[in-house]
Amino acid sequence: MNDEREDRLVAAAGKLAKSIEPERDLWPGIAEAIEAPKRRNWTPMFAQAAAVVLLVATSSAVTWYAVKDDTVVAPEYSAELIFEQASFGSVYTLGPGFQEARGMLMADLNAGLEQLSPEQRADIENSLAVVQNVIGQINAELENDPENVYLQELLLRTYRDELALMRRVGGLTKNVMLRNDI
Amino acid sequence: MEALLTVETSDYSQGMVSTENQATTDEAGLIERAKRSDSKAFEALYRMHIGQVYGLCLRMTGNVSEAEDCAQDAFIQAWNKLDRFRGDSAFSTWLHRIAVNAVLGRMRKSKREHDRIQVAAAESTAPASIGDSGNLRDLSDAVDKLPEGARHVFVLYAVYGYSHKEAGKMLDIAVGTSKAQLHRARRLLVQQLEKEGFEA
Repeated sequence: MNDEREDRLVAAAGKLAKSIEPERDLWPGIAEAIEAPKRRNWTPMFAQAAAVVLLVATSSAVTWYAVKDDTVVAPEYSAELIFEQASFGSVYTLGPGFQEARGMLMADLNAGLEQLSPEQRADIENSLAVVQNVIGQINAELENDPENVYLQELLLRTYRDELALMRRVGGLTKNVMLRNDI
Repeated sequence: MEALLTVETSDYSQGMVSTENQATTDEAGLIERAKRSDSKAFEALYRMHIGQVYGLCLRMTGNVSEAEDCAQDAFIQAWNKLDRFRGDSAFSTWLHRIAVNAVLGRMRKSKREHDRIQVAAAESTAPASIGDSGNLRDLSDAVDKLPEGARHVFVLYAVYGYSHKEAGKMLDIAVGTSKAQLHRARRLLVQQLEKEGFEA
Protein backbone atom coordinates (compact mmCIF):
# COMPACT_ATOMS: atom_id res chain seq x y z
CA MET A 1 0.00 0.00 0.00
CA ASN A 2 2.75 2.39 1.00
CA ASP A 3 4.77 1.42 -2.04
CA GLU A 4 1.86 2.36 -4.24
CA ARG A 5 1.50 5.70 -2.50
CA GLU A 6 5.18 6.36 -2.85
CA ASP A 7 5.13 5.47 -6.53
CA ARG A 8 2.29 7.88 -7.10
CA LEU A 9 4.16 10.57 -5.19
CA VAL A 10 7.18 10.13 -7.41
CA ALA A 11 4.94 10.31 -10.43
CA ALA A 12 3.35 13.49 -9.12
CA ALA A 13 6.77 14.98 -8.46
CA GLY A 14 7.39 14.79 -12.18
CA LYS A 15 4.70 17.42 -12.58
CA LEU A 16 6.43 19.92 -10.34
CA ALA A 17 7.70 22.96 -12.21
CA LYS A 18 11.19 22.42 -13.58
CA SER A 19 11.59 25.90 -14.85
CA ILE A 20 11.22 28.70 -12.33
CA GLU A 21 12.13 32.26 -13.20
CA PRO A 22 14.15 34.06 -10.54
CA GLU A 23 12.53 37.06 -8.92
CA ARG A 24 15.29 39.33 -10.17
CA ASP A 25 17.47 39.38 -13.25
CA LEU A 26 20.70 37.58 -12.43
CA TRP A 27 22.45 38.49 -15.65
CA PRO A 28 24.07 41.79 -14.53
CA GLY A 29 26.02 39.96 -11.83
CA ILE A 30 27.02 37.24 -14.25
CA ALA A 31 28.05 39.77 -16.90
CA GLU A 32 30.23 41.56 -14.40
CA ALA A 33 31.83 38.34 -13.21
CA ILE A 34 32.59 36.87 -16.63
CA GLU A 35 34.49 40.01 -17.54
CA ALA A 36 36.27 40.36 -14.21
CA PRO A 37 37.89 36.90 -14.05
CA LYS A 38 39.64 37.54 -17.33
CA ARG A 39 41.35 40.52 -15.81
CA ARG A 40 41.97 38.73 -12.54
CA ASN A 41 43.36 35.63 -14.17
CA TRP A 42 45.35 37.15 -16.90
CA THR A 43 46.82 40.23 -15.30
CA PRO A 44 49.02 38.26 -12.90
CA MET A 45 49.99 35.88 -15.67
CA PHE A 46 51.03 38.65 -18.04
CA ALA A 47 52.72 40.49 -15.23
CA GLN A 48 54.55 37.33 -14.25
CA ALA A 49 55.66 36.78 -17.81
CA ALA A 50 56.85 40.38 -18.04
CA ALA A 51 58.67 40.05 -14.73
CA VAL A 52 60.40 36.88 -15.80
CA VAL A 53 61.50 38.44 -19.07
CA LEU A 54 62.81 41.48 -17.26
CA LEU A 55 64.58 39.37 -14.71
CA VAL A 56 66.20 37.22 -17.36
CA ALA A 57 67.44 40.33 -19.12
CA THR A 58 68.64 42.05 -16.01
CA SER A 59 70.22 38.97 -14.50
CA SER A 60 72.11 38.44 -17.72
CA ALA A 61 73.25 42.04 -17.49
CA VAL A 62 74.32 41.48 -13.90
CA THR A 63 76.42 38.53 -14.87
CA TRP A 64 77.93 40.34 -17.82
CA TYR A 65 78.80 43.43 -15.80
CA ALA A 66 80.17 41.37 -12.96
CA VAL A 67 82.58 39.69 -15.33
CA LYS A 68 83.42 42.78 -17.34
CA ASP A 69 84.03 45.36 -14.65
CA ASP A 70 84.73 44.66 -11.01
CA THR A 71 85.75 48.18 -10.03
CA VAL A 72 82.23 49.63 -9.66
CA VAL A 73 80.94 49.67 -6.09
CA ALA A 74 77.28 50.13 -5.29
CA PRO A 75 75.47 50.35 -1.96
CA GLU A 76 73.95 47.13 -0.64
CA TYR A 77 70.58 46.18 -2.05
CA SER A 78 67.73 45.37 0.33
CA ALA A 79 67.12 41.62 0.45
CA GLU A 80 63.58 42.16 1.64
CA LEU A 81 62.47 44.07 -1.42
CA ILE A 82 61.41 41.12 -3.53
CA PHE A 83 59.77 38.85 -1.02
CA GLU A 84 58.26 41.31 1.36
CA GLN A 85 54.98 39.45 1.04
CA ALA A 86 56.19 35.95 1.67
CA SER A 87 52.80 34.47 2.20
CA PHE A 88 49.98 32.82 0.32
CA GLY A 89 47.09 35.10 1.03
CA SER A 90 46.13 34.85 4.67
CA VAL A 91 46.19 31.08 4.75
CA TYR A 92 49.62 29.83 3.81
CA THR A 93 53.02 31.02 4.90
CA LEU A 94 56.36 30.14 3.42
CA GLY A 95 58.43 27.77 5.47
CA PRO A 96 61.90 28.33 6.98
CA GLY A 97 63.57 26.32 4.23
CA PHE A 98 62.33 28.76 1.67
CA GLN A 99 63.32 31.77 3.76
CA GLU A 100 66.84 30.43 4.22
CA ALA A 101 67.32 29.68 0.54
CA ARG A 102 65.96 33.10 -0.38
CA GLY A 103 68.34 34.84 2.03
CA MET A 104 71.36 33.02 0.64
CA LEU A 105 70.39 33.67 -2.95
CA MET A 106 69.70 37.30 -2.23
CA ALA A 107 73.15 37.67 -0.64
CA ASP A 108 74.71 36.37 -3.83
CA LEU A 109 72.54 38.68 -5.87
CA ASN A 110 73.71 41.58 -3.74
CA ALA A 111 77.30 40.66 -4.50
CA GLY A 112 76.49 40.86 -8.19
CA LEU A 113 74.61 44.10 -7.82
CA GLU A 114 77.61 45.73 -6.17
CA GLN A 115 79.44 45.43 -9.45
CA LEU A 116 76.88 47.55 -11.28
CA SER A 117 76.64 51.22 -12.03
CA PRO A 118 73.85 53.18 -10.36
CA GLU A 119 71.93 53.18 -13.64
CA GLN A 120 72.14 49.44 -14.05
CA ARG A 121 71.22 48.87 -10.45
CA ALA A 122 68.22 51.16 -10.88
CA ASP A 123 67.12 49.05 -13.83
CA ILE A 124 67.27 45.94 -11.73
CA GLU A 125 65.43 47.58 -8.88
CA ASN A 126 62.67 48.46 -11.30
CA SER A 127 62.51 44.89 -12.48
CA LEU A 128 62.36 43.63 -8.94
CA ALA A 129 59.62 46.10 -8.20
CA VAL A 130 57.63 44.54 -11.03
CA VAL A 131 58.15 41.13 -9.48
CA GLN A 132 57.09 42.42 -6.10
CA ASN A 133 53.98 43.85 -7.72
CA VAL A 134 53.19 40.47 -9.29
CA ILE A 135 53.57 38.71 -5.97
CA GLY A 136 51.40 41.33 -4.36
CA GLN A 137 48.71 40.92 -7.01
CA ILE A 138 48.63 37.16 -6.67
CA ASN A 139 48.52 37.43 -2.89
CA ALA A 140 45.66 39.90 -3.13
CA GLU A 141 43.77 37.49 -5.36
CA LEU A 142 44.46 34.71 -2.89
CA GLU A 143 43.05 36.83 -0.10
CA ASN A 144 39.76 36.82 -1.99
CA ASP A 145 40.01 33.25 -3.18
CA PRO A 146 42.38 31.34 -0.88
CA GLU A 147 41.30 27.94 -2.20
CA ASN A 148 42.17 28.78 -5.79
CA VAL A 149 44.70 26.10 -6.67
CA TYR A 150 45.59 27.87 -9.90
CA LEU A 151 46.64 31.02 -8.04
CA GLN A 152 48.58 29.00 -5.49
CA GLU A 153 50.48 27.25 -8.26
CA LEU A 154 51.05 30.54 -10.03
CA LEU A 155 52.53 32.08 -6.92
CA LEU A 156 54.71 29.05 -6.34
CA ARG A 157 55.97 29.20 -9.91
CA THR A 158 56.71 32.89 -9.55
CA TYR A 159 58.72 32.34 -6.40
CA ARG A 160 60.49 29.37 -7.94
CA ASP A 161 61.36 31.25 -11.13
CA GLU A 162 62.77 34.13 -9.17
CA LEU A 163 64.83 31.90 -6.96
CA ALA A 164 66.17 30.11 -10.01
CA LEU A 165 67.11 33.41 -11.59
CA MET A 166 68.82 34.62 -8.46
CA ARG A 167 70.69 31.35 -8.25
CA ARG A 168 71.91 31.91 -11.78
CA VAL A 169 73.15 35.38 -10.91
CA GLY A 170 74.82 34.35 -7.71
CA GLY A 171 76.16 31.07 -8.98
CA LEU A 172 74.69 29.35 -5.96
CA THR A 173 74.36 25.61 -6.26
CA LYS A 174 71.83 25.19 -3.52
CA ASN A 175 68.53 23.67 -4.57
CA VAL A 176 65.73 26.10 -5.14
CA MET A 177 62.47 25.90 -3.28
CA LEU A 178 60.31 22.87 -3.69
CA ARG A 179 56.64 22.56 -2.87
CA ASN A 180 57.62 20.62 0.28
CA ASP A 181 59.39 23.68 1.64
CA ILE A 182 56.09 25.44 2.09
CA MET B 1 -3.79 14.52 -1.93
CA GLU B 2 -6.05 12.58 -4.23
CA ALA B 3 -5.79 15.25 -6.86
CA LEU B 4 -2.10 15.40 -6.28
CA LEU B 5 -1.65 11.70 -6.79
CA THR B 6 -3.83 11.43 -9.87
CA VAL B 7 -1.66 13.82 -11.84
CA GLU B 8 -0.22 12.02 -14.82
CA THR B 9 3.43 11.22 -14.81
CA SER B 10 5.35 13.87 -16.59
CA ASP B 11 7.90 12.92 -19.18
CA TYR B 12 10.57 15.45 -18.50
CA SER B 13 12.93 14.11 -21.09
CA GLN B 14 10.30 14.46 -23.82
CA GLY B 15 9.64 18.01 -22.77
CA MET B 16 13.30 18.77 -22.95
CA VAL B 17 13.64 17.25 -26.39
CA SER B 18 10.69 19.24 -27.65
CA THR B 19 12.11 22.47 -26.34
CA GLU B 20 15.50 21.67 -27.70
CA ASN B 21 14.14 20.81 -31.13
CA GLN B 22 12.73 24.28 -31.44
CA ALA B 23 15.89 25.95 -30.39
CA THR B 24 18.62 23.55 -31.45
CA THR B 25 19.82 25.55 -34.41
CA ASP B 26 19.77 28.82 -32.56
CA GLU B 27 21.32 27.28 -29.51
CA ALA B 28 24.16 25.62 -31.39
CA GLY B 29 24.99 28.91 -33.06
CA LEU B 30 24.86 30.76 -29.79
CA ILE B 31 27.15 28.21 -28.16
CA GLU B 32 29.70 28.57 -30.93
CA ARG B 33 29.59 32.34 -30.66
CA ALA B 34 29.84 32.19 -26.89
CA LYS B 35 32.87 29.93 -27.21
CA ARG B 36 34.46 32.79 -29.11
CA SER B 37 33.87 35.02 -26.06
CA ASP B 38 30.71 36.61 -27.43
CA SER B 39 29.02 37.62 -24.19
CA LYS B 40 25.85 38.68 -26.03
CA ALA B 41 25.44 35.15 -27.31
CA PHE B 42 26.07 33.82 -23.84
CA GLU B 43 23.44 36.18 -22.47
CA ALA B 44 20.98 34.70 -24.96
CA LEU B 45 21.89 31.22 -23.70
CA TYR B 46 21.36 32.47 -20.17
CA ARG B 47 17.89 33.77 -21.10
CA MET B 48 17.05 30.39 -22.63
CA HIS B 49 18.16 28.30 -19.65
CA ILE B 50 17.98 30.42 -16.52
CA GLY B 51 14.56 29.07 -15.59
CA GLN B 52 15.74 25.47 -15.64
CA VAL B 53 19.00 26.21 -13.85
CA TYR B 54 17.42 28.44 -11.23
CA GLY B 55 14.60 25.97 -10.70
CA LEU B 56 17.07 23.17 -10.06
CA CYS B 57 19.11 25.33 -7.69
CA LEU B 58 15.97 26.44 -5.87
CA ARG B 59 14.70 22.93 -5.39
CA MET B 60 18.09 21.70 -4.23
CA THR B 61 18.80 24.52 -1.79
CA GLY B 62 15.23 25.38 -0.79
CA ASN B 63 16.27 29.00 -0.45
CA VAL B 64 15.81 31.89 -2.85
CA SER B 65 18.99 33.83 -2.21
CA GLU B 66 21.14 30.70 -2.19
CA ALA B 67 19.50 29.56 -5.39
CA GLU B 68 20.25 32.91 -7.00
CA ASP B 69 23.89 32.68 -5.97
CA CYS B 70 24.16 29.09 -7.18
CA ALA B 71 22.54 29.92 -10.51
CA GLN B 72 24.93 32.80 -11.00
CA ASP B 73 27.88 30.60 -10.06
CA ALA B 74 26.68 27.97 -12.49
CA PHE B 75 26.54 30.35 -15.44
CA ILE B 76 29.89 31.89 -14.55
CA GLN B 77 31.43 28.41 -14.43
CA ALA B 78 29.69 27.51 -17.66
CA TRP B 79 31.24 30.53 -19.34
CA ASN B 80 34.68 29.58 -18.08
CA LYS B 81 34.29 25.94 -19.15
CA LEU B 82 32.44 26.52 -22.37
CA ASP B 83 35.31 25.40 -24.57
CA ARG B 84 35.02 21.97 -22.91
CA PHE B 85 31.44 21.51 -24.03
CA ARG B 86 31.61 19.06 -26.93
CA GLY B 87 27.92 18.49 -27.44
CA ASP B 88 28.05 14.91 -26.14
CA SER B 89 24.99 15.73 -24.06
CA ALA B 90 22.33 18.39 -24.37
CA PHE B 91 23.50 21.83 -23.36
CA SER B 92 20.76 21.92 -20.73
CA THR B 93 22.06 18.68 -19.20
CA TRP B 94 25.57 20.04 -19.19
CA LEU B 95 24.31 23.16 -17.44
CA HIS B 96 22.42 21.05 -14.92
CA ARG B 97 25.59 19.19 -13.99
CA ILE B 98 27.38 22.47 -13.45
CA ALA B 99 24.46 23.79 -11.40
CA VAL B 100 24.47 20.71 -9.18
CA ASN B 101 28.20 21.13 -8.68
CA ALA B 102 27.65 24.77 -7.82
CA VAL B 103 25.09 23.83 -5.17
CA LEU B 104 27.26 21.08 -3.71
CA GLY B 105 30.35 23.26 -3.86
CA ARG B 106 28.71 26.02 -1.91
CA MET B 107 27.47 23.58 0.69
CA ARG B 108 30.87 21.97 1.06
CA LYS B 109 32.62 25.30 1.21
CA SER B 110 31.25 26.26 4.54
CA LYS B 111 29.47 24.10 7.06
CA ARG B 112 28.31 27.25 8.79
CA GLU B 113 26.83 28.53 5.57
CA HIS B 114 25.21 25.16 5.04
CA ASP B 115 23.57 25.36 8.46
CA ARG B 116 22.36 28.82 7.63
CA ILE B 117 20.83 27.52 4.43
CA GLN B 118 19.02 24.82 6.35
CA VAL B 119 17.69 27.27 8.91
CA ALA B 120 16.65 29.70 6.22
CA ALA B 121 14.96 26.92 4.31
CA ALA B 122 13.10 25.80 7.41
CA GLU B 123 11.93 29.35 8.04
CA SER B 124 11.15 30.18 4.46
CA THR B 125 7.67 30.21 3.06
CA ALA B 126 8.11 27.40 0.60
CA PRO B 127 9.98 29.36 -2.06
CA ALA B 128 10.37 26.35 -4.34
CA SER B 129 6.62 26.10 -4.69
CA ILE B 130 6.53 29.44 -6.49
CA GLY B 131 6.18 27.75 -9.84
CA ASP B 132 3.68 25.12 -8.74
CA SER B 133 -0.07 25.21 -8.55
CA GLY B 134 -2.78 23.55 -6.49
CA ASN B 135 -1.86 20.45 -4.54
CA LEU B 136 1.56 20.38 -6.14
CA ARG B 137 2.48 23.19 -3.78
CA ASP B 138 1.99 20.82 -0.88
CA LEU B 139 4.28 18.29 -2.45
CA SER B 140 6.80 20.99 -3.24
CA ASP B 141 6.74 22.17 0.37
CA ALA B 142 7.22 18.62 1.58
CA VAL B 143 10.17 18.14 -0.75
CA ASP B 144 11.73 21.30 0.69
CA LYS B 145 11.58 19.77 4.14
CA LEU B 146 13.44 16.62 3.18
CA PRO B 147 16.94 16.09 4.57
CA GLU B 148 19.60 17.34 2.20
CA GLY B 149 20.81 14.05 0.75
CA ALA B 150 17.33 12.68 0.23
CA ARG B 151 16.14 15.96 -1.24
CA HIS B 152 18.96 16.16 -3.77
CA VAL B 153 18.33 12.66 -5.06
CA PHE B 154 14.56 13.12 -5.11
CA VAL B 155 14.82 16.39 -7.03
CA LEU B 156 17.15 14.96 -9.65
CA TYR B 157 15.38 11.61 -10.00
CA ALA B 158 11.72 12.37 -9.48
CA VAL B 159 11.43 16.00 -10.51
CA TYR B 160 14.04 16.28 -13.26
CA GLY B 161 13.89 12.71 -14.50
CA TYR B 162 17.52 11.71 -14.21
CA SER B 163 18.40 8.07 -13.71
CA HIS B 164 20.09 6.86 -10.54
CA LYS B 165 23.28 6.49 -12.51
CA GLU B 166 23.09 10.08 -13.73
CA ALA B 167 22.03 11.45 -10.35
CA GLY B 168 24.77 9.49 -8.63
CA LYS B 169 27.35 10.86 -11.03
CA MET B 170 26.15 14.41 -10.51
CA LEU B 171 26.10 14.08 -6.74
CA ASP B 172 29.27 12.00 -6.61
CA ILE B 173 27.56 9.15 -4.82
CA ALA B 174 27.13 5.48 -5.67
CA VAL B 175 24.03 4.27 -7.48
CA GLY B 176 23.12 2.25 -4.40
CA THR B 177 23.33 5.34 -2.24
CA SER B 178 21.13 7.22 -4.68
CA LYS B 179 18.54 4.48 -4.53
CA ALA B 180 18.69 4.41 -0.74
CA GLN B 181 18.23 8.16 -0.54
CA LEU B 182 15.26 8.00 -2.91
CA HIS B 183 13.70 5.28 -0.80
CA ARG B 184 14.19 7.44 2.28
CA ALA B 185 12.75 10.47 0.52
CA ARG B 186 9.65 8.58 -0.64
CA ARG B 187 9.01 7.27 2.84
CA LEU B 188 9.51 10.66 4.49
CA LEU B 189 7.30 12.39 1.93
CA VAL B 190 4.41 10.02 2.53
CA GLN B 191 4.79 10.46 6.29
CA GLN B 192 4.99 14.23 5.94
CA LEU B 193 1.95 14.52 3.70
CA GLU B 194 -0.11 12.16 5.83
CA LYS B 195 0.83 14.11 8.95
CA GLU B 196 -0.53 17.22 7.31
CA GLY B 197 -3.87 15.56 6.79
CA PHE B 198 -3.65 14.23 3.28
CA GLU B 199 -5.11 10.87 2.39
CA ALA B 200 -3.16 8.96 -0.15
